[in-house]
Amino acid sequence: MKRFLNLLKKEIKDLVNVQLVVSLAFTLLLFNFIGQMSRKEVQKATGVQAISALDLDGSISSRAILAGLESARFKIERIEGKSKEQAIDIARGGESKLLLVIPSGFGDSLKDFKPNPIETYSYMRSFSLIGARGSAIVRGVLSALNNVLSDNFLKEKLPSLDPASLKTPIKSKDFVIVQDRMAEASASDIAGLVSSQSLLIPVVLMMIVMSSSQMVISAVAMEKQNKTLETLLTVPIRRTSIITAKMFAAGLVGLTSAGIYMVGFKSFMGGIGRDDLQAATSQSVAVMRRLGLYFDTSGYLILGAALFLAILVALAMAMILGVLAEDFRSAQSMLMPLMFMVMIPYFLSLFADINTVSLPVKIFILAIPFSHPFLVSQNLYLGNFGLIFGGLAYMLVVFTVLVVFAARVFSTDRILTMKLRFGKKRTTVA
Amino acid sequence: MDNVLTVRGLKKSYGPQVALAGIDFEVLPGEVFALIGPNGAGKTTTLRIIATLLTPTGGEITFLNHDLRKEPDLVRERISYLPEEAGAYKNMKGLDYLHFMAKFYARTPEEEKAFVDRAVEITELGDRLKTKVGTYSKGMTRKILLARALMTKPVLAILDEPTSGLDVLNALEVREIVRRYVKEGTSVLLSSHNMLEIEFLSDRVALIDKGRILDSGTPGELKEKHQAKNMEEVFRSSLR
Repeated sequence: MKRFLNLLKKEIKDLVNVQLVVSLAFTLLLFNFIGQMSRKEVQKATGVQAISALDLDGSISSRAILAGLESARFKIERIEGKSKEQAIDIARGGESKLLLVIPSGFGDSLKDFKPNPIETYSYMRSFSLIGARGSAIVRGVLSALNNVLSDNFLKEKLPSLDPASLKTPIKSKDFVIVQDRMAEASASDIAGLVSSQSLLIPVVLMMIVMSSSQMVISAVAMEKQNKTLETLLTVPIRRTSIITAKMFAAGLVGLTSAGIYMVGFKSFMGGIGRDDLQAATSQSVAVMRRLGLYFDTSGYLILGAALFLAILVALAMAMILGVLAEDFRSAQSMLMPLMFMVMIPYFLSLFADINTVSLPVKIFILAIPFSHPFLVSQNLYLGNFGLIFGGLAYMLVVFTVLVVFAARVFSTDRILTMKLRFGKKRTTVA
Repeated sequence: MDNVLTVRGLKKSYGPQVALAGIDFEVLPGEVFALIGPNGAGKTTTLRIIATLLTPTGGEITFLNHDLRKEPDLVRERISYLPEEAGAYKNMKGLDYLHFMAKFYARTPEEEKAFVDRAVEITELGDRLKTKVGTYSKGMTRKILLARALMTKPVLAILDEPTSGLDVLNALEVREIVRRYVKEGTSVLLSSHNMLEIEFLSDRVALIDKGRILDSGTPGELKEKHQAKNMEEVFRSSLR
């Protein structure tokens, strides 16, 4: 144990170097900075926005439209006594992103039900999605005004009828059923909420697998490159202890790094859509709970176990790939297959339903150990405990096989003679 | 007196390629036994097998009456190996590296300190040991590696080209250090291309080529047998 701890301490010290600390600190600061910037932009876009308006009509209807926009948190900068072309030029020189032109005779045209169109001119001063939000709100306000105007007309002409029933004679109520639970909601909304709830799982998995695998593969490859491996293999410490120390150190530092990345990522995401997320959460929590689509303590434990096993599998794979690598550079290229193995189930989980794909594809997906953490959350929701525990057992078996293989490689000549060189074969005899 | 190391019929193949075709030798207590031969003769393969890095294809190796193949962990406690192209952890300070390596062998903190003190004395690097190994010259690195190999006073030190790449003065120092530790009871199995070094250090020499031992004996015996003035002539004569 003393020897193992000695090696573990050295491995951790090797991994936690100045470069790592600086890179983590920089990432954290960068995420935070971008998050703050985004938050300010969102606040700007959702706050009071200035739009220019040229009212060539001056009727009650046109004034009602402008009043409606003011109540929707727009500051109206009125352009008086100018032609449309002049107004376009004036607004171009100002700061407002939108010019609204209400044509002459607009009020009268409404009465005749031959409305003159209102023109909107959006000034694209940037191409961000948030920047275009103003024009979407204007369209929303106009649509609301359309509703009010048509409702008023219908009430006037057909006072005994409800305008809403007249405009939408067929009404629907959406219900979602999950196992034996039912709630009023649309299936697409629930699917969206579930996917947003489990959005962090693949991100966390990708982060941890990438950072830990890179660390362990580099740890082995660097021993080879720096010619320290032969000495290490002849000191009195068990080969399994060498493997465990390297994996444990990489897992520990990888988890910590991923945790720090996640804090930064959370700060970044919080900056982008904090208010929207909060609003959505408060509205949807009740429905999700009614449908049983939430994790209790055992759910989180199962999810944690799946992530942990996936990390162990990745570390064991990286350890073997590290043995195959000749040096640090080739070790980096060898990470690619591992990354693909994580990315394939991630993308498949986004675009395909495991339950409806063909049998060979299903077997292919389930054979990839990293698929199981992606499937755990939906299987938990759907109560497919057989698939969950089968997946956990499968990952445990894959991990055991890989560790036994890695230990065998470390205990035999292969640690020194096994090399994967693209397009070349080499045997070393001295 | 029992042999420290007994090698009988040692064979090693990499697929169809035969590296060792069955070699026999033994190392006695307090003796320097040298393996000489051309490149690719099988010297390093032999040393790596005895250092428990490679598994032999055939033959027997006994270290202090223990079967090396069956008890590699026990053997590693009592030997030390200095590979030809060894490196030290560049991010560690010299002193930290010595402590790190000493911890694998020491049973108590006092023993660890004694090992490191001995290594510090061998290196003669003084305050440079407080700087990172990555800043050392080749000679300094080789010295710290040799110190690492000898600080535990192993029963058998396996040294592959111990003075490889060193200048004359550093090489002389290294040879003196090896001699001193042999006097204190450590046996040495070494390989070298430097015939002067072989003559200076070795008690007995085995000449190896194509995985077989061609000749062996003390440097004096070999020179007499081959009617040679020095070991270089013995080398040339044996390979003809």
